[in-house]
Amino acid sequence: MSYTLIVAEVRRGVFEERNLDSLGLGTLLGGEAVLLVPDGAYEAADKLVDAVVKIKAPEEVYLNPMNMGKILEAVFAARGKPDHILFTQSSSGMEAAAYAAGLFGMPVITDVSGYDSQAGVFLKSYYSDKVFGQFKAAGAPAILTVRSGSFREFAAEKAAAAAAEAMEGAPSVEARTFVEYVEEEKADIDITKAEFLLSVGRGIGNQDEVAGYEELAGALKAVLSGSRPVIDKLWLPKARQVGTSGKTVKPKVYLAMGISGAFQHIAGMKDSDCIIAVNKDPGAPIFQYAHYGIIGDIHKVRDKLKELAKG
Amino acid sequence: MNILVFTKRVAATQEEELRITGEGQAVDLSKVPFKVNDWDNYSVEEAVRIVDKSGGSVTAISIGDAESDEVLRRAIAMGAKDGFLVETGDILNDPFTRGELIRSFIDKEKVPFDIILTGVQSEDDQFGAVGGVLAGLMGLPYASMVIGIDAVEKDHVIIRRELEGGLQEKVKVATPCVLSIQSGINEPRYVSIMGIRKASKVERKVFKADGYEKGSPKIELVKWVYPEKKGGATMLDGELADVCGQLLGILKEKGVYQ
Repeated sequence: MSYTLIVAEVRRGVFEERNLDSLGLGTLLGGEAVLLVPDGAYEAADKLVDAVVKIKAPEEVYLNPMNMGKILEAVFAARGKPDHILFTQSSSGMEAAAYAAGLFGMPVITDVSGYDSQAGVFLKSYYSDKVFGQFKAAGAPAILTVRSGSFREFAAEKAAAAAAEAMEGAPSVEARTFVEYVEEEKADIDITKAEFLLSVGRGIGNQDEVAGYEELAGALKAVLSGSRPVIDKLWLPKARQVGTSGKTVKPKVYLAMGISGAFQHIAGMKDSDCIIAVNKDPGAPIFQYAHYGIIGDIHKVRDKLKELAKG
Repeated sequence: MNILVFTKRVAATQEEELRITGEGQAVDLSKVPFKVNDWDNYSVEEAVRIVDKSGGSVTAISIGDAESDEVLRRAIAMGAKDGFLVETGDILNDPFTRGELIRSFIDKEKVPFDIILTGVQSEDDQFGAVGGVLAGLMGLPYASMVIGIDAVEKDHVIIRRELEGGLQEKVKVATPCVLSIQSGINEPRYVSIMGIRKASKVERKVFKADGYEKGSPKIELVKWVYPEKKGGATMLDGELADVCGQLLGILKEKGVYQ
């Protein structure tokens, strides 16, 4: 019988919300939906699937891609191979999905954000969402990683509660082992508390320009934050990063300058009350999420705003 | 430690408006500049740092057309000893095909290694899957989103992986292994034009990709499409001063600026 295997992501006891997107895509794909989850006190979405397979293994063992390979082998042996295997598009989901694809010789499509059931094609971002490719898997099972926020509205409750079954966890491999979690260092400022964020991105060009944006933030009484490229280049400290690997913010106003709007950034700021974007590229994805937009040279806008704010 | 590091020449599209041609057959990149993939720049730097500390040598490998020689010269200027180009004119969209080609190349040419570094993803296709596919195919231990390499020992490395929301996990990985490097792991050194010119004198080896297996593609690109239009923003138009005045007006209305 054909089925979709949904590999749940759990982290420090939390059933991650982005699993709902995998569950939603699972519904769209049709057939039996089987959820894989480590055995524990996770608030698993039992009603949203047909069956739950609980792996008797600690979370750190389950999340390890090499152990996941063994776990998948056991699932295939018990249930046969699924048509699709869904992982979350996340640090651990991406890692395990790609490794499993190599291990089992299966097709892999990552960062799936759309599905056309008529054509059987999956939508995958290219060039930071400027264009998308429609992809078809040449064989089954196909491994997919699912973009957070893309399918959760399709997750639907089933008539009957899922049948739960326990499965022995595979012995954990020695070749890769979890040591410990490392928390981020405490920072001088908490950007999640700011009402008004001025956020800068790659478009600012070079480090010498940062000072001018600090001045603008000062003049507008905004807090300065940034997108990943700015943090990676150490132009702003890590604590000021907005996005999935940084902070999720919801200020009253989010003014984005020179940020094109990679999905990981959007995920960290899309719930802001008012988003204003300034970018020279009219096709920048951020304009799709912004309430107000200005197409133009961000440095000129910066300098004019400073001038007007002082006047 | 012998380190193989992969580096890719990619279209720099961040500031460019992209156009899809025909009925979605291709994305027009004819006017777009090319550069080294950001993630690979961090990977090359990390490889050179490991070797500076622990000895051994770095071999930079690029899969691509003849123009990709440019990213190999760059890697050599940063400290790689050798540069190998696995030359192909094909755009390999399928990460599986890429992984299989690399596996076959390493195997057939008997390229020695202790650690293979890739970037987490390339800026163009953003698959983020080649490193994992390669590790799975070769049966090697794997870790991705590597944001710190804390220790390089004889038979293992201690690394930190970037998770979400600022959290990291420390992991022990046995060598030989494949690691995919996250951007921001280090501060890549500056590469001068002089440095690249000097690196040009180091011979780069060219291998024809046709000589290796890459299997049949496991995924098929059907067509290219533009992103679905969502609500979209209200665009502020006019002279610079006017537009900026409107912006300040919105800030006042939202109560964040007096």
